[in-house]
Amino acid sequence: MIIRAIMVPNCGNGSICPSPTTTNLPFAGSTGHGRLVSMAMLRPRLLEQRSASRLASRPPAAAGDVGTIGELSTTTESFYELLGIPVSGSHDDIKRAYKQLARKYHPDVSPPDRTEEYTQRFILVQEAYETLSDPECRALYDRYLARGLHYALSARRRFGEELEEKSGWKNRWQDQLVELKRRSTTRNSEDNLSWGARMRKRWAESLAD
Amino acid sequence: MLSFKLIAMFWALSRLIRMADQTYTVASDGETSAEDISKLIPTELAIGMDIGTSKCSVAIWNGSRVELLRNTRNQKLIRSYVLFKDEMLPSGGVSAEVPHGDPEILSGSAVFNMKRLIGRIDTDPVVHACKTLPFMVQTLDIGVRPFIAALVNNVWRSTTPEEVLAIFLVELKVMAELQLKRPIQNAVLTIPVSFNRFQLARIERACAMAGINVFRLMPEPTAVALLYAQQQQQSMHENMGSGIEKVALIFSMGAGYCDIAITATAGGVSQIKALLGIPLGGEDLLQNILRYLLPDFERVCSNHSLENIKSMALLRIAAQNAIHKLSSQTSVEINVDLGDGSKISRSLTRAEFEEVNDEVFVECEKLIAQCLLDAKLTAEDLNDVILVGGCSSIPKIRSLVLGLCKKRDSYKGIDSLEAAVHGAALEGAIASGINNSSGSLDLLTIQATPLSLGIRVDGDGFAPIIHRNTAVPSRKEMLFTTAHDNQTEALIVVYEGESKKAGENNILGYFKITGIPSAPKGSAEICVCMDIDASNILRVYAGAFLLGTQQAVSPFLEVRMPTIDDGHGWCGQALVNMYGSTMDLATIPKKV
Repeated sequence: MIIRAIMVPNCGNGSICPSPTTTNLPFAGSTGHGRLVSMAMLRPRLLEQRSASRLASRPPAAAGDVGTIGELSTTTESFYELLGIPVSGSHDDIKRAYKQLARKYHPDVSPPDRTEEYTQRFILVQEAYETLSDPECRALYDRYLARGLHYALSARRRFGEELEEKSGWKNRWQDQLVELKRRSTTRNSEDNLSWGARMRKRWAESLAD
Repeated sequence: MLSFKLIAMFWALSRLIRMADQTYTVASDGETSAEDISKLIPTELAIGMDIGTSKCSVAIWNGSRVELLRNTRNQKLIRSYVLFKDEMLPSGGVSAEVPHGDPEILSGSAVFNMKRLIGRIDTDPVVHACKTLPFMVQTLDIGVRPFIAALVNNVWRSTTPEEVLAIFLVELKVMAELQLKRPIQNAVLTIPVSFNRFQLARIERACAMAGINVFRLMPEPTAVALLYAQQQQQSMHENMGSGIEKVALIFSMGAGYCDIAITATAGGVSQIKALLGIPLGGEDLLQNILRYLLPDFERVCSNHSLENIKSMALLRIAAQNAIHKLSSQTSVEINVDLGDGSKISRSLTRAEFEEVNDEVFVECEKLIAQCLLDAKLTAEDLNDVILVGGCSSIPKIRSLVLGLCKKRDSYKGIDSLEAAVHGAALEGAIASGINNSSGSLDLLTIQATPLSLGIRVDGDGFAPIIHRNTAVPSRKEMLFTTAHDNQTEALIVVYEGESKKAGENNILGYFKITGIPSAPKGSAEICVCMDIDASNILRVYAGAFLLGTQQAVSPFLEVRMPTIDDGHGWCGQALVNMYGSTMDLATIPKKV
């Protein structure tokens, strides 16, 4: 309860707010792109992964303490329900639904008196969109959904990150980046310096004299 | 016309207003942001301001379209500088009846390039590059704000980038008020993508000094994206097309900054897919050319004698003109008498210009490739490439951008110099809640965070919690653990940036969590949550959990960032010196 009160400080009225920390995974499961985390060698164990295992072993009744929070309750709502589309919805359906909901919930356009509430909602919609608009993440999410564990979308980041590494677009651009970096380093080496660099070097040397 | 006293008054006033706001906030519901207040109080339409390194412009939604305001000399693009003169009040390029010529602006009495200096410390390479400017930029390389001074009556009088910007903003504000015949309170300002939160805070402070309430700070290319979205929507209406998504890469390069955004727009909603920027611009091209023409350039500039300032001004003007001409011709003659007996008389070819600035162009290419990578797109996915900013007329820039994006030509229908202010004015109208019957304001931009936000972990490691290019508003959280056995306190040091080393990123603030349950290292759990709200305000929540539960030990701490001000470069190191690793956090290893 303490956490709940603190984590949703923007809510004037607690009764309309979700509880993002305890079991409400769309919040907890939003730890960003696993790819970058793993690249940084930080290997933080993401909250989403923990919560997932906890949830899985948790008695079903436990979900109820969030489920009562009214309109914005998300534990019982799948991402499809959140976006208001059928499970068979196409990629275009997802995009269209997302943009439609963004127009409703985004703080720039939502009614001023409901900004806080709608902002929370927008973040959920964003999460749903990000998951369902990525084919691999969606496939994984669908598998969870079929097993009734759809709120435990947890591992998708980890899983998604592996798939991402394999996919073509990244390699293609990475090659190009490497090539560009190589170009700039070879140019900087030895007497192959660019004009500006040569001048700065000469200037530095003249200072040292 | 305007004195420092006036500025001080403005400042005092704006502080009063802020205090009033806070009272209001507390009375209502504890967490009302400035934006909500301006939505609650009936306010007027916010103007759009594009404060460029070299030129500024102001625009407003006039009910049916965006209109750029003109200064007394009928200019829409107003040169950004403030001239300091003895006994006279400082004046910028806005209100001067008689235009200040280049020799006067480059005499040391005027301060310009404020946008390159604001919020930067004296170890910053960008500040060092500013040391060749005619006014004085002094650095002691200890991580504090540089000393800046203008020559007044043969004495170097100190000032600050914020003060200079505030004087300039007051002039722009007064200009707009005279023309619109009403007081101006709210403004949407464009900012470089690479600005960190500390720099944004400085911009806000300058605005507060000028009596301007910042409605939004909008990364420049996203302002252009908004204009693009409007044009796409209008053409959709005309063609009765369905909501086909259009993807555009916006390359914006002005005098001080090079920024890129990739936007996907359909049905009036634009998503910023990726944002990337670096402090690199026309000023760097110019300095490279100056160094090429006069290898001794840095040394001549460093002594700040009146003679040298004068001769460097002449050289700068000549080089600037030459660069402009090289956009349309392949070779240019430079003849400049430096006044001290030396003369530069030679030709400069476009090929030489490109060779001298090769590094700059390679940086631009890298930026585009990285931005496409971030957006998970390839050149084939792009419908349009939009080139804006002063440098967009440079043939090499055009060819490299279009080449990398595999496009024959750039998007037409957007004025490369007025696009950003146009977008800012549109955003001003949208954020002010203006509705337009024709639906031309029926637009929404979903912004992204340009820099990753995270905390220091595992020594000098950086654990991003909100990654860059995350849609905002956003809220993300992560669990961490203790680095030592029975550690009961932990420091949360918040950084912003992309380096894997925390120390190489920009420190935003820090606080301590206490009461962590005593346990072997690696078993306690500390939750850190980051929240960016609708007004782009960053709050960090942190607290420890009771062992094996997700029950908080004690109420979480909520800290609004940035919390630190001057000398911020020191804080991170000072904490390490004082506490070593005793209060370190560690990442929780993934279970395999």
